[in-house]
Amino acid sequence: MKKKFLLLILAVSSLSLAVKAQDTIKTTGDAPLVISGSVDTYFKSDFSGHANIPTSFANENSSISIGMVDLALKKSVGKASFVGELSFGPRGQEQSLPDGSTKSIYTAGVSSYHIQNLYVSYNVTDKFNLSAGYMSTFIGYEVISPAANFNYSTSYLFTNGPFENAGFKATYTFSDKVSLMAGIFNDYWNTYQSLGGRVNTFGAQLTITPVKNWTAYINVAAGPQSGTEIDLTTAYQITSAFKLGLNAADFTAPTGMSGGFSGVALYPQLAVSKAVTLGLRGEYFTTKSGTWTTTAGPNPGASVTGLTATANIKAGPLTLIPEIRFDNSSKNTMFTDGAGAPTSGATQFLLAAVYAF
Amino acid sequence: MKIKIIALVFILFVKTSFAQQNLLSFDEHNKYIYYQVADAPGLTADTLLTKGLSFLKTYYPKIRLKPIVGENMVNGQGKFLVYGGVSVLKHEKGEITFQLNIEFKDQKYRYWLTGFIFTPYQRDRYGNFVAQQGIEIPLESALSKLEKRDVDAYLDETGTFCKQFGDRFKQFITHAPKKEETIKKVVTDKW
Repeated sequence: MKKKFLLLILAVSSLSLAVKAQDTIKTTGDAPLVISGSVDTYFKSDFSGHANIPTSFANENSSISIGMVDLALKKSVGKASFVGELSFGPRGQEQSLPDGSTKSIYTAGVSSYHIQNLYVSYNVTDKFNLSAGYMSTFIGYEVISPAANFNYSTSYLFTNGPFENAGFKATYTFSDKVSLMAGIFNDYWNTYQSLGGRVNTFGAQLTITPVKNWTAYINVAAGPQSGTEIDLTTAYQITSAFKLGLNAADFTAPTGMSGGFSGVALYPQLAVSKAVTLGLRGEYFTTKSGTWTTTAGPNPGASVTGLTATANIKAGPLTLIPEIRFDNSSKNTMFTDGAGAPTSGATQFLLAAVYAF
Repeated sequence: MKIKIIALVFILFVKTSFAQQNLLSFDEHNKYIYYQVADAPGLTADTLLTKGLSFLKTYYPKIRLKPIVGENMVNGQGKFLVYGGVSVLKHEKGEITFQLNIEFKDQKYRYWLTGFIFTPYQRDRYGNFVAQQGIEIPLESALSKLEKRDVDAYLDETGTFCKQFGDRFKQFITHAPKKEETIKKVVTDKW
């Protein structure tokens, strides 16, 4: 009996060795199904005692609040692949994505499916790719996923730009330094389907790598219903510890309306140890005068300057993000103080935790 | 008996954990190296060079080669992916680039893989894992920038990759490529 038991242990151990050897390196063949994602939670305190700064997420004051559970699936077989990414929680539902069951947009509190990415992709050649579906936008520096952002609160440029674009795009890589994406997208941003039965937003992205470790994306999304946004997003890893990012954008309101917004944000980040990186975000954002009034930010004709100091403290897959943010508007119509009186400035502190897998 | 069982399990566990990492050595510049010398009886240096290039073209086409004219040598640069996580949560954690050097002489050859540099991956907005631009960490100094558990895993995977490369290389050199077996045709209108 003992001999059998020993043999069984030996067999199981040998099998585990063999499995490890076969499973460790994937140099050829089809990739396995990959599951990844994140979970995030935060506490925010605005110094006025109530929420003031119109950041996309982290908007609940004096509350231990949740972001979302984000679950992404990816599978590639040969030249074809798909990505399906679902999110559950306020960050990935009413705070960013439309509700699918009612066809309405930004319906708070109605649970349904909430898709961040749902697209299929095909590599026609090593240099030419076709993708179609509902995809994270190609515009801007920041994204919905907290694991892919350095700062936890979001910039005005992110909040007012597109989050998602549904459409069809083709990307051609000319060289290691230049690639071009062009595509046609639905009439409105962030919707799972065309709201007016039109696929008339043109989008393009020119990617340039001028020198090693510096990449710049010049983006445009233009349509009669969605308006026109021209965007520059760039990041330069100057040393192994220091990275500098920049986002600048200009948005012109859709046909029949006037106004829009423009702004610029700078993102210096310094890794001070293997666990800690410090970063700043300095942003200038202005709302153009006109009839476009849905901007989350200063009133038309006014501007706001935001300075955000953030640390990322990593403990394996967990990142703690303490952050303090100072916003100052050119007019005292944007924020209110502790007594509810209009004021030009607002300050908030938050502590977030993001677990990525 | 219990002690024997526990000891056996322990030995196997330790062997599993460290076997692949131990395939790597340090060279005179204190860089990790996988170095092998192999015999190839009956084969000239020119034949070995031809076979070697054929091997790389067949099994590792993405290695960028720099054949040295007039010498029976091949240098190249390649990379492989390393994975983290367990079971269905396993995904790319980064890539490791390496320098490959092969030298051929009559009836023998040697090769070494060295200059291992790790670049971590991060998930992009489209759900793909992509290289973090500008982050290049030599495996020799990885402990100063990465968790020890991760470094050990990457060294294990590097050892496994090198061994797999060497085994395939030896197999290719010592055995002629198999001829594709043709399927015998059957004519059904004849008995």
